[in-house]
Amino acid sequence: MWSELRELKDELDFGTPPRDGSPVTLDVDDVTLTVPAGSSIMLAAAKAGRAIPKLCATDMLEPFGSCRVCLVEIEGRSGFPASCTTPVVEGMKVKTQTEKLQRLRKGVLELYLSDFPESEMVEGWSELHETLKAEGVASHPYGKGGANHFDAPVDASNPYFLFDPAKCIVCSRCVRACAEVQGTFAITIAGRSFESKVVASQDQPFFESECVSCGACVQACPSHALVEKSLFEGEYKHAEPAEA
Amino acid sequence: MPNPLKPEKSVVTTCAYCGVGCGFKAETRGGKIVRMTPWKEGKANHGHSCIKGRFAYDYYNAPDRVRTPLIRASIDDPWKPVSWQEAFDYAASEFKRIQAKYGVKSVGAVSSSRCTNEEIFLTQKFARAVLGNNNIDNCARICHSPTQFGLTNTIGAGAASQHFDSILQADVIMVVGANPTEGHPVFGSLMKRRIRQGAKLIVIDPRKTETVESAHCKADVHLAIRPGTNVAILDSIAHVVVREKLYNEAFVHARCEVNEFENWKALVGSDKYAPEVIGPLAGVDPDDIRKAARMYAGGPNSAIYYGLGVTEHSQGSTGVMCLGNLGLSCGMLGREGVGVNPLRGQGNVQGGSCLGSWPHVFSGYRFVTDDETRSSFEAEWGVPLDPEPGLRLPNMLDAAVAGSFKGMYIMGEDPVQSDPNQHHVIAAMKNMECVVLHDLFLNETSKYAHIFFPGSSSLEKDGTFTNAERRVSRVRKVIEPLAGLQDWEITVQLMNAMGYKVSYDNPGQVLDEIARLSPNYRGISFALIDRIGSAQWPCNENAPEGTEVLHIGKFPRANGLGAFMLTEYVPTAERTNDKYPLLLTTGRILSQYNVGTQTRRTPNSLWHPEDVLEINEQDAMARGVNNGDWVKMTSRFGQIELRVKISERVNPGVVYTTFHHAKSKANAVTSDLSDWATNCPEYKVTAVDVVRTNGPAADGWHEADRPRIEELEPAECA
Repeated sequence: MWSELRELKDELDFGTPPRDGSPVTLDVDDVTLTVPAGSSIMLAAAKAGRAIPKLCATDMLEPFGSCRVCLVEIEGRSGFPASCTTPVVEGMKVKTQTEKLQRLRKGVLELYLSDFPESEMVEGWSELHETLKAEGVASHPYGKGGANHFDAPVDASNPYFLFDPAKCIVCSRCVRACAEVQGTFAITIAGRSFESKVVASQDQPFFESECVSCGACVQACPSHALVEKSLFEGEYKHAEPAEA
Repeated sequence: MPNPLKPEKSVVTTCAYCGVGCGFKAETRGGKIVRMTPWKEGKANHGHSCIKGRFAYDYYNAPDRVRTPLIRASIDDPWKPVSWQEAFDYAASEFKRIQAKYGVKSVGAVSSSRCTNEEIFLTQKFARAVLGNNNIDNCARICHSPTQFGLTNTIGAGAASQHFDSILQADVIMVVGANPTEGHPVFGSLMKRRIRQGAKLIVIDPRKTETVESAHCKADVHLAIRPGTNVAILDSIAHVVVREKLYNEAFVHARCEVNEFENWKALVGSDKYAPEVIGPLAGVDPDDIRKAARMYAGGPNSAIYYGLGVTEHSQGSTGVMCLGNLGLSCGMLGREGVGVNPLRGQGNVQGGSCLGSWPHVFSGYRFVTDDETRSSFEAEWGVPLDPEPGLRLPNMLDAAVAGSFKGMYIMGEDPVQSDPNQHHVIAAMKNMECVVLHDLFLNETSKYAHIFFPGSSSLEKDGTFTNAERRVSRVRKVIEPLAGLQDWEITVQLMNAMGYKVSYDNPGQVLDEIARLSPNYRGISFALIDRIGSAQWPCNENAPEGTEVLHIGKFPRANGLGAFMLTEYVPTAERTNDKYPLLLTTGRILSQYNVGTQTRRTPNSLWHPEDVLEINEQDAMARGVNNGDWVKMTSRFGQIELRVKISERVNPGVVYTTFHHAKSKANAVTSDLSDWATNCPEYKVTAVDVVRTNGPAADGWHEADRPRIEELEPAECA
């Protein structure tokens, strides 16, 4: 009943909300463990100490399955399902770290990196930065000058936090935090495909929108696109690209 | 600098704003607080936060924060900065002088719900053991004293019956005179989560609040009652429960005093409380009253959450009893998902209530007149204690005006701004010979103070808070106190200066003393909280880690049975007439907190730069008032100027404002009527009229605040 809220841990992100169904036993990378039914493979892996890399998933929000970083292999099933949206099944055998998976994850992360300001990669400590580091992705093969969001204007209208679309990976964590945790529904994703972007209310500055400034979106953002202004000294602007 | 700077240190502490009591991690860099992030293991907030706790913390470092003690012989003199010792010695000599001249009972103390449990306990110890009388009160007097009285008399404990998470098992949620999404935002979010899962919502509130309708959350029934008709409407709901036999007979017979139930049935079941009678009186559709009653009684799990809209009335205690009666009659107590729960305004109102900052009771609501209780305190404190109850805050002020009460130690309160009938409070302040104010900032009350102790914010001290669900959580020192001393140390040193020697190494030892002297806190200690995060009282040998749900099996009354109180509706003496045709009610907004001492010193004021008067379009048109116009609002007690906002949130005949800004002086118009049982002021009903004006007038009600000519803008002089 309350496991979604009460079993949350400060130092550990299970990736998807804890559940309290009847016990299910499975293998994750040859670790056998029992978790409540309704749990995701991602949560089981985190409990088994085999945390799976992720970007769009966090245990305060329902799984969404958009980032495609948390892919796993399941014995007897084809393809590479996302571990966040795949519930555990009795007797399931999961592999989280195969060569094939690492290649796939690297490919996905390189795509994220290709639209992330290069200068902002240095000394970053967001979940995105940590994930790239952990997966050994420091560059991408797509060259420079391709389509990107680097010049999208920063929304600094809120006195406490800013939104920098250049760092946004459109994972919808902010949208879901606003809806599921806060219950205000002030944020949405507008547009489709490459044009899709996070907007507040009717594409308004955050300060003028329905946003109640609870900070749930900032807390949820994995890439410091939504970030507290108090963590910066001086005015916020992007570092000049290295070659300029 | 493209990337944010990483905080270096993090301390888990408890938010000092509202009664939700969220767990936060205060993160620092270079000894400065750079961020507050919600603590995922905080049992009141589960990793969520609101604009106040998460962002509005910078007030602690505001430039006008007082950093040295101040004294002055007369309130007409300028303040003189002095050392701590000098300030303590001066305060002690003044209190002693006054007591020698005017008697032991001519002085008293007031504590605040913003103080920690330990500070509140020390302040009452100061009054009882050091000043030698029971003149001790706290600000719960003006908000939730009827809760203590009304709930104790029905269900036996003046506290929330549930823990917050209990709402996730409620099928029907009834919110009375509260606006959780603004006043208790993190609990509001939890409530909305449950409503999105399908729980039904009943709201009783004169105003169409955000709780009544917001994205994916709409009240099934909204009883937009005329201010002041709470008891009538609740009796009418009870009437339907009785007449349609919706009550839970098995529960009543097993758990309640049956004779009293029959008496109650006879009263509320009488024709005068029929929805068809009360509906027109309260301004609501009788069918909606019936709908609300059936919905609540139908449950299966119905939970009541209420706020100051119930308590701050001349029948505040009666209103609380109505809710207790309703819970008992329908069997909505003693398990998960049900209950009767006050939403406490300030961070530590529950602690303020529990820990004996009252003129008549010690901690645990045990009477000072009781010899056995008193002797246990006398044994611990080593002095004889006064068996006679002391003065309540309003009575202290009355006695000050009358000339028999001459000195006061005020900890963390601003009575001039927050108490009703402001000019009466000012007259009282001016009549006292020694007002010691202990606060972060000079405020409205400091204008009349002789000694100022610069306090520490909750980020600068150790202690505990007790939130609205009885949860005791740790407040931990994140940075050093700006003025050098933590608040508890200030009170301790004042006691020592008065010649009463006490010493504590840390506030944990004060909590241990509280535990020794208070049955509900017996098992609570810093060590326990550090181990399990927080604990809800009662916490004792039967419940070593605290108690989430009260009233399982029996009620904490002598015979263990729930009691029905008779709740006859008596209309308030505050009435509308031709001269004052509108009813003013007051409330809060999300971004500001109470009198705004903290939030007004943060960018939160960008959302709410001034208090505005909400008025229905019909009333506005009749007065030729447009959006943004200045109006003069007059009551029988005073007048203020505000800007107008035309709003559908209020019905014709009702106007609404907030009281967050000192300059708008909302309490200059509120009446001096108060709850019949507890003196809780009737802030929620004042007859007023509103007329258009050209702007804030120079001839305000308060002579002291009249601007001198040279201070006026040229436009205002014209």
